[in-house]
Amino acid sequence: MIYLQLFWSFLKIGFTSFGGLSMIPLISSEMLAHGWMNAEEVSDIVAIAEMTPGPLGLNCATFAGMRSAGLLGAVAANLGVLMPSLTLCLLAAVFYNRFRKAKVMQNIMVGVRPTCLAMVAGVCLTLSATNYATVAGVSLPSIAIGVLDLVLLLVRKWSVPAVIGLSAALGLLTFGVAPMLSA
Amino acid sequence: MGRFKTLGNLFGTFLKLGCFTFGGGWSIVAQMQRIYVERKRVLSEEELVDMTGVARSLPGTMIGNVAVLFGYRMAGVAGSVVCLLGIILPPMALLCALAFFYTAFRENEWVSAAMNGVRASIVPIVLSAGIGMLKSSFPFPPCVAVFAVTLALYLVFDLNCVYLILIGAVCGLLLSEYYERRQKGRGAKK
Repeated sequence: MIYLQLFWSFLKIGFTSFGGLSMIPLISSEMLAHGWMNAEEVSDIVAIAEMTPGPLGLNCATFAGMRSAGLLGAVAANLGVLMPSLTLCLLAAVFYNRFRKAKVMQNIMVGVRPTCLAMVAGVCLTLSATNYATVAGVSLPSIAIGVLDLVLLLVRKWSVPAVIGLSAALGLLTFGVAPMLSA
Repeated sequence: MGRFKTLGNLFGTFLKLGCFTFGGGWSIVAQMQRIYVERKRVLSEEELVDMTGVARSLPGTMIGNVAVLFGYRMAGVAGSVVCLLGIILPPMALLCALAFFYTAFRENEWVSAAMNGVRASIVPIVLSAGIGMLKSSFPFPPCVAVFAVTLALYLVFDLNCVYLILIGAVCGLLLSEYYERRQKGRGAKK
């Protein structure tokens, strides 16, 4: 049952994700393990999810669900990723005053944060292997775009959608227009 | 009748909020602040900050958690469900459409040229997010060891991320306990 599998995968992703992009390593490993997507497609959904409104986790769930099993797949994946909100968070809402003072989550985060950082570093390496390579070897234009993006993000403080937009335009020029001109 | 109206209002507002969640949940919190703290005055500034803090400390998408906490506060479990639905439906509809177009057009050479460029931007984006996490990741020296060990487990042994997070959680509990006790011990000596 692909719907159950999607639900279960995104349930795991939901319960082990603590904010934003630290979700990507989890999504990447689940997608690759089930063969629902290849590494290129994982990069694509991250880009699309970051360009559109809505939280990354939900957007990835919808996109991955749609890609692998259509609309019902998207619903199943969304339900999975929302389960922490519907269970843990609802409990926290009911016992709000008691929960607010509990330090357990803060203590857990002391170890979870460096772990998330490690996974983020790791996924950068694995994604680099596909995103900066072609069949022929290393793709120099891709590396140039990547370096430029990093500078824009870190030094010039560009927003993520702006950087993605620029990279799409540069991609069109270098991979679309340039080969046509040289041919 | 009043109850249905409340639920309807909540749904409507969160549906609107759901349309404008660019770049994480903070823009939504900012809009909630404007609507519910400043205009409708049903929530105090501190309560919202508090709610956001709780939402962030729990696993899952932060904005889903905020919607559940706020909805429960306004109208119980039904309020939670209504707010959550409102906030997820717009992005979900949009992403469904995009997934459809992606499937249809990804083979197109112009689209694939643009996507080639876009793919080059993903590692810098993730990397810069990682750099942003650096500050809060190492409150105690042993956290560096947690980072190193989990990175090795991830890259070399390809360990499932779920186990990695569990290992991190256990380390966090142990480390916090240790440093708390040490601090208490020091306090006692003084």
